[in-house]
Amino acid sequence: MFRWHTVAFWEWNSIDSNEVCGICQSPFDACCADCKIPGDQCPLLWGKCKHCFHLHCISKWLETNNEGICPLDRQPFEAAT
Amino acid sequence: MIKIWSMKKENAGVDKKKPKVSAGQIRVQKDLGELDLPKTMKMTFPVPEDLLNFELDISPDEGFYAGGTFKFSFAVNGNYPHDAPSVKCLQKIYHPNIQADGKICLNILREDWKPVLTLNSVMVGLQYLLLEPNADDPLNKEAAEDLRSNRRNFESNVHKSIRGGCVNGVHYDNVMTKK
Repeated sequence: MFRWHTVAFWEWNSIDSNEVCGICQSPFDACCADCKIPGDQCPLLWGKCKHCFHLHCISKWLETNNEGICPLDRQPFEAAT
Repeated sequence: MIKIWSMKKENAGVDKKKPKVSAGQIRVQKDLGELDLPKTMKMTFPVPEDLLNFELDISPDEGFYAGGTFKFSFAVNGNYPHDAPSVKCLQKIYHPNIQADGKICLNILREDWKPVLTLNSVMVGLQYLLLEPNADDPLNKEAAEDLRSNRRNFESNVHKSIRGGCVNGVHYDNVMTKK
């Protein structure tokens, strides 16, 4: 054997990989529109309301929206811990 | 040979001038890909390579405004979907929620905008406004009062206005669908 190719594959194991982030409409396994590489650099964030977004997407929204509500249910958004 | 070099230089200049694709643009492309317009709506892109500025024609097939074709302009900024698209009506029409200068009163374009909404949500909202004008949240107070006090009279005023007539001394645009 002279050479070989390795192929790796990953996905978030906490969410259905077909689902998309409601804000950027990109799959959770892809990154938000401001990032280039998906993964730990562009993590996900769940709210206590069980709605999930890319951390960057929801942070940007909470900064611009002074009521701090979840864009899906209009309730105050609190990160699940 | 010199010609080829100068062409190359020009091309390099073009590459540099090309603006970076913004996050807003990426999201707009996704929205447009998901669009499934009913036959009462038509989109046009005045500058084909500019996806952030376009026009929408709505031709309601029922309600007060049936028979007309209403033109709206959409301008989406690079911060979309965090900022709502800005939408204006391009014609002067007699409508309780649309001002003569084109300003539109629709909750999801202002206080109720959320980044999970899409261009489709806004288009459906506009169509709804034409089907069900709302007298409780007026920009054109006269039209709202007219609708509230006498639907019949409002209906005949709309009928007149969309054909280019005058209502209460104000002249409106003829917006009848061209056959």
